[in-house]
Amino acid sequence: MITKTAEHTVIGTRPPRADAFEKVVGKAVFGPDVNLPRMAYGRILRSPHAHARIVRIDPTRAEALDGVYAVATAADLPEAADRTERVGEGNVNYKYMRDNTFAGDKVLYHGHPIAAVAARTLQIAEQALELIDVEYELLDPVLDVRQAMAADAPLLHEGMHTRSLAGTADTPSNVASQFQFLQGDPEQGFAQADVVVERAFETAMVHQGYIEPHAATAAWDADGTLTVYTTTQGAFDIRSQVHELLGYPLSKIIVVPTEVGGAFGGKNVGYVEVPAAVLARKSGRPVRVVMTREEVFLASGPSSGTWMRVKMGATREGRITAAEVELCYEAGAYPGSPVGAGANCILAGYDIPNARLDGYDVVVNKPRVGAYRAPGATQSTFAGEAVIDELAEKLGLDPVEFRLRNIATNGMPRLNGGFHEHIAAREVMEAVRDHPHYNAPLERGTGILRRGRGVGLAYWGNWGARSSVTLEVNADGTVSMLMGSVDITGTRTSIAMQAAETLGLSLAHINPAMGNTQTSGYSDASGGSRTTMATGVAAVKAAEEVIAKMHERAAAIWVCEPEQVAYTNIGPDAGTFTCSRNDETMTFAEVAAKLGGTGGALRGQGDVNVRRWGGAFGANIADVEVDIETGSVRLLRFTAVQNVGKAIRPGQVEGQLRGGATQGIGWGLYEGYAYDGQGHMLNANFLDYKLPTALDVPAIETEILEIPWPEHPFGVRGVGETPIVGPPAAIANAVYDAIGVRQGFLPMTPARILESMGII
Amino acid sequence: MAIKPFAHGNAVTVAEAVEALSASCRPLAGGTDLLAMMKADLTAPESLVNLKTIPELHEIGVVPDAETTKGLRIGAMVTLSQLAAHPAVQGRQELGRGSLTRSSMAVLHQAILRTASPQLRHMATLGGNLLQEPRCWYYRNELIPCWRKGGRLCYAYRGENKRHVILGGGPCYAVHPSDPAVALLAMDASLRIVGPAGERTMSLAEFYHPPDRETRTVTHLAIDELITEIRVPAPQAGTRGVYVKVAERAAWDFALAAVAIQAVMEGDTIRSCRVALGGVATIPWRASQVEEVLMGQASSPAPLSTAVIDRAVEAVVEDIRPLEHNGYKADLLQGVLREALDQLR
Amino acid sequence: MSLEFRGPGVVPLTLYVNGHETHLQVEPRQTLLSVLREELGLTEAKHGCGMGTCGACTVILDGQTVYGCLTLAIDCDGSEVRTLEGLARGQELHPVQQAFIEHDAYQCGFCTPGQILSAVALLEANPRPTAEEVRQEMSGNLCRCGAYPNILSAVLAAGEREE
Repeated sequence: MITKTAEHTVIGTRPPRADAFEKVVGKAVFGPDVNLPRMAYGRILRSPHAHARIVRIDPTRAEALDGVYAVATAADLPEAADRTERVGEGNVNYKYMRDNTFAGDKVLYHGHPIAAVAARTLQIAEQALELIDVEYELLDPVLDVRQAMAADAPLLHEGMHTRSLAGTADTPSNVASQFQFLQGDPEQGFAQADVVVERAFETAMVHQGYIEPHAATAAWDADGTLTVYTTTQGAFDIRSQVHELLGYPLSKIIVVPTEVGGAFGGKNVGYVEVPAAVLARKSGRPVRVVMTREEVFLASGPSSGTWMRVKMGATREGRITAAEVELCYEAGAYPGSPVGAGANCILAGYDIPNARLDGYDVVVNKPRVGAYRAPGATQSTFAGEAVIDELAEKLGLDPVEFRLRNIATNGMPRLNGGFHEHIAAREVMEAVRDHPHYNAPLERGTGILRRGRGVGLAYWGNWGARSSVTLEVNADGTVSMLMGSVDITGTRTSIAMQAAETLGLSLAHINPAMGNTQTSGYSDASGGSRTTMATGVAAVKAAEEVIAKMHERAAAIWVCEPEQVAYTNIGPDAGTFTCSRNDETMTFAEVAAKLGGTGGALRGQGDVNVRRWGGAFGANIADVEVDIETGSVRLLRFTAVQNVGKAIRPGQVEGQLRGGATQGIGWGLYEGYAYDGQGHMLNANFLDYKLPTALDVPAIETEILEIPWPEHPFGVRGVGETPIVGPPAAIANAVYDAIGVRQGFLPMTPARILESMGII
Repeated sequence: MAIKPFAHGNAVTVAEAVEALSASCRPLAGGTDLLAMMKADLTAPESLVNLKTIPELHEIGVVPDAETTKGLRIGAMVTLSQLAAHPAVQGRQELGRGSLTRSSMAVLHQAILRTASPQLRHMATLGGNLLQEPRCWYYRNELIPCWRKGGRLCYAYRGENKRHVILGGGPCYAVHPSDPAVALLAMDASLRIVGPAGERTMSLAEFYHPPDRETRTVTHLAIDELITEIRVPAPQAGTRGVYVKVAERAAWDFALAAVAIQAVMEGDTIRSCRVALGGVATIPWRASQVEEVLMGQASSPAPLSTAVIDRAVEAVVEDIRPLEHNGYKADLLQGVLREALDQLR
Repeated sequence: MSLEFRGPGVVPLTLYVNGHETHLQVEPRQTLLSVLREELGLTEAKHGCGMGTCGACTVILDGQTVYGCLTLAIDCDGSEVRTLEGLARGQELHPVQQAFIEHDAYQCGFCTPGQILSAVALLEANPRPTAEEVRQEMSGNLCRCGAYPNILSAVLAAGEREE
């Protein structure tokens, strides 16, 4: 209905973010900042063992402690449905989720929650935890993905049988499921190859590392309404989880999302909401549960450690003939690793006529994994891009040239059975080829310090799904905006900008806010790089409805037919209604001032379920300096290129590119879970699990490509996830370029680099 | 996470602080390590004596030392950032004849700036830094009853020991976490220690010892003693120092390997030197065999040639005994030493 | 003369918080961060790790940045504590806050209070820092969203503005 063809006046600009003021003055309310009258403090008792049967739980002594209001265990939860549903960016089985909220008959990882206590103070709650008596019968843990796949491995779930297209296996296994993609004839493809490269790769389990810990505050009204304030990417997802686990009606649960202090996929699944709700019900008080940093590491949802094997063949002319991929992903204690997404993203940018991919979802005695920014893709891309790089080298081709010779194009069948549409992989690779960084000379060094350059091509499929935006016109011509999507790093602004652009109003006219599950229409979680895209569609739809309704009001004022009213949202007259009957004009604000007399409140509602969306390719160029005597890797220069479709607010897009790169640098060089042989996590803190500091990250150059996704009103594809996918691959390839040794392990710590060089 | 209840007293004099100390009454300096230990429930003293309220422990200054030179006297409560900002440590204030060079105290300055983060350097005191507990991840895990905490076994010995010792380990294999201690060992610093029996002075080299089977500590500080002062001798003319550290991150990280060298140079010849190693042993480690190589025959001193550096780099790993996963540290140590010597040239 | 011990129960404490003389009763075991957040309701300083490993709780104590989570409140008796709450005058932002907005020097905003206070303390001590000095002095505040390059630009710009 409303199409804008002229230059945008709001989109593509860099206004201050809607939340700027409250963020820089520190008044934004995050999860741990929620404070209610009479509030009690909740803490969670966790398993010190990685694998054990629970013989007995006795909370009597804890309950007797002065100042303790309530103790909760699995006995306080009804049985949950053995049903798997999508939550946020991943799938969750509610029966497993119940067991992961309060352990049933077994604990499956160090940190597995067993019980929770609410008390007058945090100190009393902690003291009470020590008074809960738990008797365990220890079992052997299994921590390594390939050991877990072995026939004689200790079983986490005695009743779990591998599911695959062939059916369900007879014997129990830690392999929850397996799948295969097959295209063409891989054997024949390898027979046609002049060069074949095969390598195995391992990556350590990593954590999103958001600085704000999980925090939820639950309160029950006298009428039985449960309100949960929580830091989450998806208020409605949390409501579903609370509903399923408490067996309580959705209409009686209100989830209010707070500001989110970093999530990166890790705040889709709830961990503390249900314990807080149960404790609040039992104690008759609001209860706040905030995780410690150690708890966040031990028992939230990190990303899979993996073992991967990639074999590829190519002809002398530089054409890929075949690929064979094996992806084994740790799911943690319950099924649900992102191996599927890893499979969808590996080698997605290439034309590979013959390929076979086997994926395995494997349970191990570690926390159940969650989504972490492009879940599963960073691991598999590290493997795929290393082999691509090595093929190019063996063929004597420039790595970018080799990639371009095999680049995927529109309509090409994909390994996962789908087809690429409007993919623009070539444009991304060409942007790398033409980038000043890629063409800058690199002083390679001959002494101890060796320099190298590497590239990585990255893909993430993005997402659409459900979003809801409400725009209410106020009497002064301003517009109040309510969105069901949670704001993660600027969403309010980028959605308000799309509404303003459509309405033909300045951004200052729109006051955007996050709704909650009571005030907003259903919206899926802010994840999967979907929000600016899908919630943007909802905002445009809501704005269009506002304009349509305003036509009717203007017609009522002018006493004409709505068809005689025109509205312009572009150019110098933007925001003006004209009447063809009397040639009069009214501004948006003038019509708004008369809403009372023309029918009352005026709202535009955009409720969408976006079913088609466009993926995003990106690429990274990394220059590294490796000290061959100490194994230290220093980043000298780093570039992120990405096709985002359309950058609504370029400052945020650059931030996403830099942020993904920074996390990718951490994943590549520093980060990884460490366990002892009994399955105790050894580095559940920020000193031993090392996030990059300001000194570890170079200035990250960004190049934004805008090749639109044609089905979005402004061409938006999605931004946030692709940026993390390529950096470890690019860094690993750069390290190879510097020292001539391929890196098969993430993180590439000094120890790993020196070990790879065969020095020890 | 919550600290267990304790009583708190502000000491004004060293004497009253020492009088109060016992196994259950511990001294509190900057608190950056002790409070973290208490939060993790690894220690739970009944009371803490705040040493920050003792004025004399904050003094820092150039004082008469030997007859002809001056040294630096650093109160134990001087913070790392105060020390790094001091003109003498920055080489802007003369400590001894000919010592007024940026490089004469550089080893200490560099070691401090590679320690922790700016905020922690504002909080942490030099005395406390020398007495840090190990950062071994078995030691810091309250679930694991390791030897150092009174248990029977060192779990790192056959466990995840990538960051553990390669020199002189056993029965504990946790590395000493301090950077400044390594620099001070190279500078031949000494400590003034006050206890109930009075005052004594001890060189830093004597102060640290490999894990003691009875006390399970690595220092000669008794439970009721305090370090009150750190004394750094005045550098001789021609002194040049260097501190090189390798860690996984560029900041806020502990050394995988570090080398401190304080050398008296005559042109490009080392006349005398002290070399200390960090991140590789349970204590700051003096590398005497490296010093011997570097000083050569006293009679015919030779320039610091590539050949000498090669020999020193060989010597530094002579006595190593790597564990299963930390063999790379030998190479790392050699690399760090080579870099330090290259900087000295 | 023997040392006087107080606690483990509550003891009186006087802090000068953002210029206001504040009298409190705290247990010796309470950290400065918990007193600010729980007793005074000043939630600008964030609790990210509780172990001095993230920097979200950075406050300025007698002119220097410290981690509130590893500082005992009782040790701050008579001290001047500055938090982000005291920085802006009503709607008038401090130049560092303004620069953070203009340079998109935050994404989620959780580490931002600590980052801004580190920047303020840095610029008060060194009004025209080099880029390397800024990176060094800001290395005690983690930003997981990866706004480091933007924070660097903001601090440098704020330094120029304060001239």
